Amino acid sequence: MSEMKKTFGQVTALEELAGLNSPFHRIQASAKIIVTVIYLVMVISWKQGEVSGLLPYILYPVIVTALAELPIRLLFRRLVVALPFTVLAGLSNLFLSREIVFSIGSIGITEGMMSFCSLLIKSLLTVMAVLLLIATTRMDDLSYALLRFHIPSIFVMQFMMMYRYLFVLMEEASVMYHAYILRAPREKGIKLKDMGPFIGQLVIRSIDRAERVYHAMKCRGFSGNITLSDNNRMSKMDWLYLLLVGGLFLFMRLINLSEWIGRMYFKILS
Amino acid sequence: MNDMHMSDALVSVAVGGSMTAVSTGAIGYSIRKLRITDTEDKKIPMMGVMGAFIFAGQMINFTIPVVGSSGHIGGGILLAALLGPYPALITLASVLLVQCLFFADGGLLALGCNIFNMGVIPCLLVYPLIYKPILKRKISSRRITTASILAVVAGLQLGAFAVVLETVLSGISEIPFREFILFMQPIHLAIGIVEGIITSAVLIFVYHLRQDMLELDFGVTSKDSISRNKVIIIFLLASLLIGGGLSLYASTKPDGLEWSIEKVTEQTELVSKGEIHAATEKVQEATSIMPDYSFSSEEMSDSPIGTSLSGIIGGLITLIMAVSIGIVIMMYKRVRRSRTMTEG
Repeated sequence: MSEMKKTFGQVTALEELAGLNSPFHRIQASAKIIVTVIYLVMVISWKQGEVSGLLPYILYPVIVTALAELPIRLLFRRLVVALPFTVLAGLSNLFLSREIVFSIGSIGITEGMMSFCSLLIKSLLTVMAVLLLIATTRMDDLSYALLRFHIPSIFVMQFMMMYRYLFVLMEEASVMYHAYILRAPREKGIKLKDMGPFIGQLVIRSIDRAERVYHAMKCRGFSGNITLSDNNRMSKMDWLYLLLVGGLFLFMRLINLSEWIGRMYFKILS
Repeated sequence: MNDMHMSDALVSVAVGGSMTAVSTGAIGYSIRKLRITDTEDKKIPMMGVMGAFIFAGQMINFTIPVVGSSGHIGGGILLAALLGPYPALITLASVLLVQCLFFADGGLLALGCNIFNMGVIPCLLVYPLIYKPILKRKISSRRITTASILAVVAGLQLGAFAVVLETVLSGISEIPFREFILFMQPIHLAIGIVEGIITSAVLIFVYHLRQDMLELDFGVTSKDSISRNKVIIIFLLASLLIGGGLSLYASTKPDGLEWSIEKVTEQTELVSKGEIHAATEKVQEATSIMPDYSFSSEEMSDSPIGTSLSGIIGGLITLIMAVSIGIVIMMYKRVRRSRTMTEG
């Protein structure tokens, strides 16, 4: 429970970050979403065991973090949460493919090590990309961007409402939980036999709340639509950002930048 | 406990893309159904709040007797029973979207897979095939218990199986198919039984206290929609089966595929010895491989060792560059801020 509280604290912190004002925050949400998706696809599409080609993609999170002045520690904390499962899945690669690809000095580098490394880098980069999108984009802008992509308004509206009510219901659940734990000391959680009434109670409270919310919305003239304001247009700068940065990601996918730099390095030496 | 979230790093572009297409179709269909059926504006706050409820419910840990470990609910079947299958799928999809964006739980490209495994399977497959028929004729505590335990177990079994298929088809992790299945299915059987018991207890509680709240629309649906449901279910099952067969085939015969790719890349290598290939169509292929550039001017990069060595050196240089660029930007910002402070 307290674990979740911590998580929620971090999520709220992310939301506060999104309200900051930096060159990167000012880019239109749609542009940022498309660039993020391009980035993800390019990173994912590198073949298994590729490390050098992936490394240049680190530039993006580093530059964005610096430009948007995001607290590195918070981002790292969120990053660590996402890693365990991927690491577990990657461990099997370590043990299963033991063919030595090449060796540095006397240390043999196996195929498994390479694919494990590339998996690790991939998961760091992909999680980071999504984190950066959230940390620099306000929830409302995100929702408007979804509407711009012609995602049905039913979906977007309930997505927005869900996000708003997350914290309200969390509070509700946590009050109930504390009341229970106070009456049942030395328990790690709710007993299985009490789970039905407990969650059921939460269901009833939630549905009642939804009813009240609906009536309040109706009183204020809600008819099932949201209106888009005009300042959600992509400007020339947004297009420029989209084309340049998206193009750069594509370029880095076609050319292995690391190898190219390495070659230049040897050329200069010789 | 019920953690079947797949992350981006484990999914190939092809698998992620196709599953996104399937899930988008299912959500689109659900939204259409919702528009036809009833007052959608009332459903919106209901779905939003119930989505938040699933979050809050997942937060509550319970203790499992004997084992002593603790877990939390997943809630797919519970939502379908409370809201009906279509609103439940839409709600679950946005729950998963929020989890992926704010909680780093499952990736953005893997979202299609996750919506399918944890939303489409319980709501559009298991609910109409297992849950609904059991309660159609008569509703009683015992029937609710039977229906929810069976439905949750079936949903998690199918979901776990889908996770295995998607992972194996993506080919990123090298967990062998058989071992993976033997690991996933029993674990999710245990989880499913516990979660099924909880789901039924919750539904019985709500049913006895407030019957009006349960989505008891059985028998209201017209014949036409049921037949269309059947078509969709058959289509989904078929795609699951075909996908499973294909993945088995692919896992037993990887050489054929690789051989053909090698053939193709060999030819392209012969044609273009430059740096820039017309590789746009290759990017779309998850399995695409950039052929090793061999610069004939340098004897060292002709060997694979040479290539990887320049890769390592270049990669290190890239890393150092990236970090220093970041530091420079931060320093610059700091200096500028302190300057504005002193001036202001």
